[in-house]
Amino acid sequence: MTTELASHNKHSLTLAAPLLAGSGAVGYADAWPPGITAAMFGALVTSPVSWRPRRGHPPGRLAETPASFILATGDHNPGFRRVIDDHALDWRRLSVPVIMALAGSTVEDWDRIAAHLEDEPAIAGLELHVAEGARPVDVANWVSAVRRATTLPLLVKLPSAQAPALATPAIQAGADALVVGAAPLAAALTAAGTRIAGPLAGPAAFPFTLRAVAAVAGLNLPAPVIAAGGISRLADARLCFAAGAVAVQIRSLLWVDPAAAVQLAADLASR
Amino acid sequence: MLQTTATLIERRVVGAHQELHLQASALARSLTPGQAVLVKAGWGSEPYLRRTFYPVGLADESWILRVPPGSDWGHAWLRAAAVGAALDCLGPVGIGFSVPAGARNLLCLGEEDPASAGWSGASAWALLPAIAQAARSGLAVTFAMEAPTPRDLIPAHRLPAAVEYHTAIRPRRPAARPGGPASIEGVPQFLPELLPWADAVLAIGSRAFYGELAATARAARYELVHGFAQILYPTAFLCGVGACQACVADLTTGRRRICQRGPVLDLLDVAG
Repeated sequence: MTTELASHNKHSLTLAAPLLAGSGAVGYADAWPPGITAAMFGALVTSPVSWRPRRGHPPGRLAETPASFILATGDHNPGFRRVIDDHALDWRRLSVPVIMALAGSTVEDWDRIAAHLEDEPAIAGLELHVAEGARPVDVANWVSAVRRATTLPLLVKLPSAQAPALATPAIQAGADALVVGAAPLAAALTAAGTRIAGPLAGPAAFPFTLRAVAAVAGLNLPAPVIAAGGISRLADARLCFAAGAVAVQIRSLLWVDPAAAVQLAADLASR
Repeated sequence: MLQTTATLIERRVVGAHQELHLQASALARSLTPGQAVLVKAGWGSEPYLRRTFYPVGLADESWILRVPPGSDWGHAWLRAAAVGAALDCLGPVGIGFSVPAGARNLLCLGEEDPASAGWSGASAWALLPAIAQAARSGLAVTFAMEAPTPRDLIPAHRLPAAVEYHTAIRPRRPAARPGGPASIEGVPQFLPELLPWADAVLAIGSRAFYGELAATARAARYELVHGFAQILYPTAFLCGVGACQACVADLTTGRRRICQRGPVLDLLDVAG
């Protein structure tokens, strides 16, 4: 069974499986945990890229929290041109679509990057990362700008806490699908005693995801919803599907327990 | 990298630490000294992150982890694991030590700081597999180690008989003074004599320790060249494959992922 994420777009974005490798889960499709293959997924989402290279947060990026962790990378990336130069050829050889994630901290550059990627055959779509605190009018403006710059399928990843309020402006501005959502921001101490802030990752984020998915699906918008955030077992995925999601993204599960991710992919394939 | 289940076949209490002898042949055969193993240390989702260990003993079918004391929940879970327990392991992570071809005199240097070794899993004890391998290969090996107290030192009986062993107690590292004279306490006191003798150096310690090593090596050997000294960069890992970017460090070549460039680096990467 396939899932179409961009049914209103002239470019289709068809998933052969309802499981996606979430943003950066396998880096730029160059960092594979043991046992993980592209064939497990309906699509891969890259690590977030920006117009210019970003050094990201200084070392000391990880803090463990109960049943979860905070990872503050600061969207460390070499810039979209370098990413395309280094990886686009490999992406074309993959059996699954590659969706490029655009870093939320550089929204003013989204339309510029989108315009450059319009004719890049290795890119099947874009995923815009809307930061926590964005207003509906901001989302409408940003998505509209990207929509004008590219015809590529457009996924918009919304912060779970604000997803119900931001979903409608995102769809009205031209998003093809919604990713719900970016986990709430949190803070904790690293092992070195430095306080860092960033999105909560891991199973503790799942209840926030489930609530947001159900709320957005309840809006009955004409766009598919992809669940993301803390999904770590088949039961989580089933809850998301029951709440209205058409697919799920995983990330931290791939890093912490690749074998469990393989099992989840197999379970979803046989459901 | 492999994900495999290792069987806990023996537990030994060594001072305040525990040494867990784990058996999983495929992983054991692929490990080299200085590479890390990420161990799931708990049931379910708590704690969620794996604990990073640098094995302190390597054999064909098994390896030994040294679990520190302290309040970390994952370490406590491992200390309580029963013999026969199955532990989920990911590894090996990164690049390990590699003695250069042609080297005959190997100098190993360790700084033990129990206070900071817990989370990163990096400990001077992780030099033991490299020392054992080098001694078995017929190299002349000298090991110099410093620690805050005598009981933090590696006992001499854990080393191959042929290894020359120097120890020093340094209760507290003095504050770094840029441009100041190199320290004459701790391991550095041995270096003016040992560095000219050595063909290669393997070291595990803090970045301050590596800074002292670089300064002393430049003085003792006129210049510090790439390939002479390898160091283990002390860090813990999340994914271990380069995806998460949690383990980045600021090296002389820029901000790099340690799981990809290290954890064993050239000394010039951290003290250029």
